[in-house]
Amino acid sequence: MECRAVVSSLSDYLDGRNIWMSDDEVEQIETHLTNCPACRNLKLEFSEIKNAACELPLHTPSSALWTRISKAMESEISTENGSVRETQSASGWWNWLNSHRYTFSLPQLAAAGALAVILIFGRFSGIFGANPAPLNLKGAQSALLLPEEDEIKADLERRLYVVNSRKAQWDSQIRADFEQRLNMIDESLKLCRYKLEGDPKDADQQDRVRALYDEKRKLLEDVERLKW
Amino acid sequence: MVKEIPSSAQSSKSVPKSLAPLAPLAPLAALAIGLVVLTASASPAGAQTFSRAFAVSPESSELEVVNQAGTIKVTAGAHQSKIVINARQSDGAAKIDATQSALGKVKVEVTGRGRVDFEIAVPASSSIDLLSYRGAIVVTNLAGAVRARVTDGDIQIAGLRSARVEARCTQGNISFSGEVLPTGSYTLKSFSGRVDAILPADADFKLSASTFRGGIYLGAFQMKFNKRSHQLVEGSHGAGRASISLWTQEGSIYLHSKP
Repeated sequence: MECRAVVSSLSDYLDGRNIWMSDDEVEQIETHLTNCPACRNLKLEFSEIKNAACELPLHTPSSALWTRISKAMESEISTENGSVRETQSASGWWNWLNSHRYTFSLPQLAAAGALAVILIFGRFSGIFGANPAPLNLKGAQSALLLPEEDEIKADLERRLYVVNSRKAQWDSQIRADFEQRLNMIDESLKLCRYKLEGDPKDADQQDRVRALYDEKRKLLEDVERLKW
Repeated sequence: MVKEIPSSAQSSKSVPKSLAPLAPLAPLAALAIGLVVLTASASPAGAQTFSRAFAVSPESSELEVVNQAGTIKVTAGAHQSKIVINARQSDGAAKIDATQSALGKVKVEVTGRGRVDFEIAVPASSSIDLLSYRGAIVVTNLAGAVRARVTDGDIQIAGLRSARVEARCTQGNISFSGEVLPTGSYTLKSFSGRVDAILPADADFKLSASTFRGGIYLGAFQMKFNKRSHQLVEGSHGAGRASISLWTQEGSIYLHSKP
């Protein structure tokens, strides 16, 4: 993978939106980050910016500002409604459509034509059947590989929520250390799950994945116990 | 501070008559005081000590320590009915709370930031539960249940005669040395460090050892294996009565035998 491609995906990757990426893509990014110091530095800088942004205080606008905005919106809506009512009552929706000027470029027309062909062909060939299979956008990382994985994930998410709500009070160094450790475990977890996908019935590999989930839970339990 | 120390150049005229015989010792005294002052100023600013003792029942003594940063050393003390806590706070604004519940359990908790180093003496049969986010844990010569957890630091357990041990760290090494009791359960887990278990050569145990990146080295133990690879061992030694579980993701596992 080239640096340019990694840089363009880095933001999604750091925001945890890598569930929208394929496993191959995630792996390619990670391999590239391991081998490319420049991109690794960029990733660190992005992470710092993201962390700093999380620490910024939230500002709630005054109620006076909201009143002004809502009044302005109301007056604009009532003006628009008045003109639309006049138009529709005069000549109906067809006239309203005709009253607008439309211009299409050649590529737009071609795309619309192609879409129409696909829709017609799909309708008759059964692509859009009555019960279309759901798209698995999350990829294999979200597929359950252990019978109890759903419960484990729910428990971890609950603990993570509690810890995240407290993190703002922590020392920045401790927060960075904690996140680094959590990432380390997550990376190992990803790797072990990836191996388990190759042979989902491999009991030893299942135990490895369980051990990592357990380690993650213990880490979260520890920081829940600490009062910074 | 140094200016306030009596100068060795003070004239003997200013010395009261009753102290006149001691006048020749004045330079030595001044030197001694000076050394004391210099030693005191060499210790870290803001360093504080903390000491508490709790009366406990030797049979059911329990201790829990939750520390943010710093070493926790727990050892079997001379008193069989007392938990004695000594702590030293090196810097920061950490606050140490030590309380005892109605059931006798002693809980020591550090809140706020800063390093605190503990040295705690407990009755040998005490059950202990130790947590430090950053810093080492050292446990010696106990016979009660031991639970030790460090996120960033080493755990060293020595001279144990306990039936229940659980030691875990995320980033650090674990070393265990002690007896293996027939009904015992011993769990040593480190995410990214090495795990060392020093066991009696004739210990009876069943072993489950697993690593992802490192290796497993069994020393002189001749075992019966159920599973054996470079990264996973399941088997037993002797009658296989006690249960030993060793795990590390990134490090290696070493078994050592002691005569």
